[in-house]
Amino acid sequence: MIGLGHFLTLSAILFGCGVATILTKRNAIGILMGVELILNAANVNLVAFNRFSWAGEAVAQGGVPAVDGLMFAMFIIVLAAAEAAIALAIFLNFYNHFSTIDIERARMLSG
Amino acid sequence: MTPANLLVLATVLPLIGFAIVVLLSSRIGSPRFWPWFTVGMVGASLVASAIAYVTFMSGDGAVEVHAWNWLQIGSHADGSPRYLQIGPYVDKMTVLLFAMVTLISTLVHIYSIGYMEGDSRKNRFMAYMQLFTFSMLGIVLGNSLLQLFIFWELVGISSYLLIGFWYEKRGPQLACKKAFVMNRIGDMGFLVGMGILFVKFGGDLVLRAADREGGGVFGSLLLNYPGGAIDALHAGANEWWLTIAGIGLFMGAMGKSAQFPLQTWLPDAMEGPTPVSSIVHSATMVAAGVYLTARIFPLLTPAAHLFVATIGLITLVMAALIACVQTDIKRVLAYSTLSQLGYMVLGLGAGSYTFAIFHLVTHAFFKCCLFQCSGSVIVAAHHEQEMTKYGGLMKKMPITAACFAICTLAIAGASIPFLSIGGEAIAFSGYYSKDGIIASTVNYGDALAAAGMNWGAVFYWGPTIVAYITAFYMTRAFVLTFLGKPRDKHLYDHAHEVNWTMWAPQVVLAAFAIFIGWGFFKVGANLHDTAPAMAQPFEEHEMEHGYHFVHGALLHGFGWMLSIALGFVIYINGFSISSKIAAIPGIAQIHWWLYNKMGFDGLYDIIIVNIFKALAGLMGAFDRLVVDGIVNGTAWVGRELGFLIGGFDYRYVDGTVRGSGRAAVRLGSILHRTQAGNIRMYVLILFVGVFTALAIATPFALGWVWFGLPQH
Repeated sequence: MIGLGHFLTLSAILFGCGVATILTKRNAIGILMGVELILNAANVNLVAFNRFSWAGEAVAQGGVPAVDGLMFAMFIIVLAAAEAAIALAIFLNFYNHFSTIDIERARMLSG
Repeated sequence: MTPANLLVLATVLPLIGFAIVVLLSSRIGSPRFWPWFTVGMVGASLVASAIAYVTFMSGDGAVEVHAWNWLQIGSHADGSPRYLQIGPYVDKMTVLLFAMVTLISTLVHIYSIGYMEGDSRKNRFMAYMQLFTFSMLGIVLGNSLLQLFIFWELVGISSYLLIGFWYEKRGPQLACKKAFVMNRIGDMGFLVGMGILFVKFGGDLVLRAADREGGGVFGSLLLNYPGGAIDALHAGANEWWLTIAGIGLFMGAMGKSAQFPLQTWLPDAMEGPTPVSSIVHSATMVAAGVYLTARIFPLLTPAAHLFVATIGLITLVMAALIACVQTDIKRVLAYSTLSQLGYMVLGLGAGSYTFAIFHLVTHAFFKCCLFQCSGSVIVAAHHEQEMTKYGGLMKKMPITAACFAICTLAIAGASIPFLSIGGEAIAFSGYYSKDGIIASTVNYGDALAAAGMNWGAVFYWGPTIVAYITAFYMTRAFVLTFLGKPRDKHLYDHAHEVNWTMWAPQVVLAAFAIFIGWGFFKVGANLHDTAPAMAQPFEEHEMEHGYHFVHGALLHGFGWMLSIALGFVIYINGFSISSKIAAIPGIAQIHWWLYNKMGFDGLYDIIIVNIFKALAGLMGAFDRLVVDGIVNGTAWVGRELGFLIGGFDYRYVDGTVRGSGRAAVRLGSILHRTQAGNIRMYVLILFVGVFTALAIATPFALGWVWFGLPQH
């Protein structure tokens, strides 16, 4: 039977992929993808905890369904969309400035 | 106010004047104001003294003594504390000397205004003169020996300041040192004398004021009755100590009054401004020695008297001979002072207390006047002092010449032969005092001869012959300066009479020189009232034998004429005759010897100055090698220690500070690489950090889950 551990493992794998993507990709779009992976890892966690928490057990016994974790997940999806919009805008400017989106060139944060 | 109060006031006024001038003269007031201010102070002092004189002389003449306990010095045999007492001692001699000192000081102050005209340090000079006057008045006022000694030293220091007043010049520098050192030698005797009195005869003799129980030396003057304290002193087995003490105290007087062998400073003191000479040689400094000897008169044993008389005789003969050959006008007068002081000291030694002080008073007036006249001549001659350049100045300066002539007659003891009013000869002041001294030396010499000392006659032949010499050398000075043909045309053409501030005091002094000795003014008689019982008599009929000799030896008033005539004959044509006499073999050597002041300066250079220089050199070497060595060694050790500590500081303390700074810089240079702007690196660090934090937090979280939250 699939339990909380499986979901958390999936989430951890997703998170690990996201981090690996961020660390290895030179392309800014790639990094954005990594960030999406990490956010979705968090979403998986939230949904899974919602299901397997004390409130989730109550549904299985015919109680009122709990939606707290789902609400958090919804917020994060919206947040991710907003973040992607802003990030893409930044990348556009970045590209206008450097004629590339290779973040190795983005060293203006140094010092 | 009683005379004593007035005299204290008269003493303090010049001191106040001194303080005010010293403190304020450089800040306020015009240059013309301050000299006249000092004249005002000393003039007020004169007025107070004059009132005291009149009050006291018209009173019953009882001695007025006040004493305050000042310092406790040891205790008496019965355990009661012994005090140094200070306060005024007023008898007829005190008021008389006060009047004399303040009068002369006032006149000299006025004279100084003219003489010091144009000197940039005029105010300072006047201030010193005030201090000098104050010191002398303090001596005359003092009622215990130690108090007298305090003012004695003040006189010493003020004379030092005044003689060395023109300290830019080499001469005054040396002269003031010489005066001070010579006085110091005498003062050593003074201290020894006081020490002997203190130890051998009880401290009261030195410390206590006079009182009816016979305390103090001054008290011994007061208690001259048979069986009194002073007779007890002389009767005891302490005769020898008393003689030494008396000679010791007299040594102080030898220093101050420039007696042989301490006489060399007085002629050199001529380096000071002439007003200083005129006051030093008359009323203040040299008078102090004679005054002291008079005050300790009852203490002196016959042996001490003989010593005093011998010193006086040597001084008066020696100085008179030297005065005959000097060509510097002030030097002639200086040796003349020495000679006259010799008369006073001889008089005191011979027991003629009264005539010695009498001569002090008369001499003060004519000698002060003579010095002022010489000062006027020097000013008129543009500071030329050599009589070889003078001559014929009478036409140019008649007032000064007249004053000089009067005082020459006074010092020569001129009298009108075979003429007398009421049994008293008509004469200048010097006649009365000097003839009195000689008459009393006749008694003394005869007494010595009677006691088996056959040479006693020298004590009256000496002063008699010197009386002739005195008239001669004073005539010489007068003729060379004022008569004859001018020997320096340029100097003569520019000479002129001095202004009134200078000639007016001369006129007043000359007037006093004429009449101060007259019996009408009772100066001698009043002084005799203070004389101890052992002193020689004053009245002429009591000394008939002595006066008989004097009148005979001085040719009944023709003797001085003889000397003066001789002086005129030899010097009326300048040095033409005298230089021929001085060229005769034999006389030439004597002349050279006298001109060089009998070689005393050279002698003292050899036996005293050189020894002291050698001693000073030795001390200097000791200082340089040992004392400086210790000081320098200590400094060296300190310096080396300083280097050591400095090195420690540099290496370790500074090293720590600098090291921590450097460490921070290195750390920074490592850490700054992490801030390279590489975003992926940032992210890596972020994740590593988060994982680390999680790794640390996990065990706690698991602990809580499995074992529950920690219980408190």
